[in-house]
Amino acid sequence: MTLSRRVLLERLLQGLGVAAIVNRHVPVVQAAGEELARNESGPLTIRVTRPFDAETPVREFRPFLTPNHRFFVRSHFGPPPPDAISEANWTLRVGGLVERSQEFRLKDLRQMEVVTITAVVQCSGNGRAFHRPKVPGVQWERGAVGNAEWTGVRLRDLLAKAGVQASARHVQLQGADRPVVASVPLFIRSIPLEKALHPDTVLAYEMNGRPLPLLHGAPLRVITPGWMADSCMKWLTEITVQAEESKGYYMQTAYRMPAIPVEPGAAASGKSIPVEAMVVKSLIAAPQEGETVKSGPVTIQGMAWSGEAKVVKVEVSLDEGKTWEPARLVGEDRPYAWRQWQLIWKAKTAGTFTILCRATDARGEQQPAMTPWNPSGFLWNGWDRVSVTVTA
Amino acid sequence: MSVRRETVGVRREKGLAIGLLLFGGFLSIAMTAAAQEEDLATVSAALAPRAEVLIIARCSVCHSPDLVAQQRLPRARWEATVEKMKHWGAEISKDEADVLVRYLSARYHPGAPDHLPPLESEVRQAEPFTQDSVAEGPVTGVAARGAGIFEHNCQACHGTNAIGGHGPKLAKNPILKHEDLFWETVLHGRGPMPAWGSVLSHQEIADVHAWLSTR
Repeated sequence: MTLSRRVLLERLLQGLGVAAIVNRHVPVVQAAGEELARNESGPLTIRVTRPFDAETPVREFRPFLTPNHRFFVRSHFGPPPPDAISEANWTLRVGGLVERSQEFRLKDLRQMEVVTITAVVQCSGNGRAFHRPKVPGVQWERGAVGNAEWTGVRLRDLLAKAGVQASARHVQLQGADRPVVASVPLFIRSIPLEKALHPDTVLAYEMNGRPLPLLHGAPLRVITPGWMADSCMKWLTEITVQAEESKGYYMQTAYRMPAIPVEPGAAASGKSIPVEAMVVKSLIAAPQEGETVKSGPVTIQGMAWSGEAKVVKVEVSLDEGKTWEPARLVGEDRPYAWRQWQLIWKAKTAGTFTILCRATDARGEQQPAMTPWNPSGFLWNGWDRVSVTVTA
Repeated sequence: MSVRRETVGVRREKGLAIGLLLFGGFLSIAMTAAAQEEDLATVSAALAPRAEVLIIARCSVCHSPDLVAQQRLPRARWEATVEKMKHWGAEISKDEADVLVRYLSARYHPGAPDHLPPLESEVRQAEPFTQDSVAEGPVTGVAARGAGIFEHNCQACHGTNAIGGHGPKLAKNPILKHEDLFWETVLHGRGPMPAWGSVLSHQEIADVHAWLSTR
């Protein structure tokens, strides 16, 4: 069989995630990819060119919703070939410990009750670069997080159609993405049945009112509100109900934390637990790191979120955490979304200042100065820090 | 009295000796640290030409080298990482793994700065080692040799017998008839495919082309 030139080009491009959103023409794509990689003022800061991993510059977090083209991108193998997830070819299978195995097409899902939920999606390794000693992995800084409106169907409505058996405890999720080399383990994860049956756990086919983009898991991805994105499987094709947690590297080795905290620098050993709920966290979106501001009133603004509790307080410190001043919570207040905040700082004297912020949630959990070290650098939520220069 | 004086004198000398020892100790620690830093730089510069080619040829089959360059890990973690990648299918011999671990732990160690200076010019000089053969004109490929070269370098993406995998099927691919496009792609890469110009010689590329043309 000979490949048409177009198919050949498409296949060549499939590993370069950015290609799909830029252009199908090879020379243009190459140039654009290189341009993006170097361009710090672009919509995303690229951490890994292939598979494409990129985070949002924090200045872009001022709007309540993070636009799709600025939303962070992370996957282990890059998107699957476009024809594998085209409407004509894509199916979602639900099997395992169910009464009736099911197969859904996109048109079937569109017949079902529609739900929209606003939720923060955050990479488990967001902030990994701040752990000391340094840990292996993509060195995410502050922007592997975003807040979007996700529209789709409830996972539990699909499970109800299939009928979950009494022995079921976990739901395995698998997408259409595949590693380059077949000997690399597949990206397979599972979530506990309670989370799968939670009415707010959705399978989203729209993101901010637009069809889910390829880089974000088209045509369907899992959204587990309040939980880290390691559960938010993209390019979803297989749901398997089972009695146990999934086997394999990405469930049993990766995305786990020591059950008992270990000494900084220690190797992972002993009992571990999967990374699930988010921890309370806040960021300063303005002013930006290194910015120069004029003395007088300066608006400090940002956002704060927590896993399964509401953010009740955000505080700002201008003296390295000795004293804290409460910020005003503003804007939309929705469960699972982030909450925006602001504080007017009366900058009187010229000089260099460090702005810190920390959030507290309804359970009384508060952001620590530094997150306890863990071997894979997950769940970083240390105080956010921005240095600015005030001129007279 | 004299005994006592002697004792004081001995104490003073002891004190001086300890002081000197301590000072010497600090000095030697400082000197050792600086020397180690220098050693690491020397080691990484010496290994860079081979190691960087290996990173392009073996690691970037699955991920771009920028993922490697952002790590700052102690030797034990580099050893574990290279071992994990071998286990997952990276085609790295024992000798190549040794070069990679020594290079990576010398260049990307925990004390290395976030922004490393670019690699020494030796690497850049080492890259176009195929330039000579360009000057010599076109080379004739030998299909029998191409099979092994393909298996070792191309098969991971293009599949057994070049029937395709993550990368396109190359058997009977029209690109084989457009030699200029074929060479351009192999030498300089395209899209997700890395450049092979610094890994394969022109003779080896010609051998692969000859073998592919028989598929």
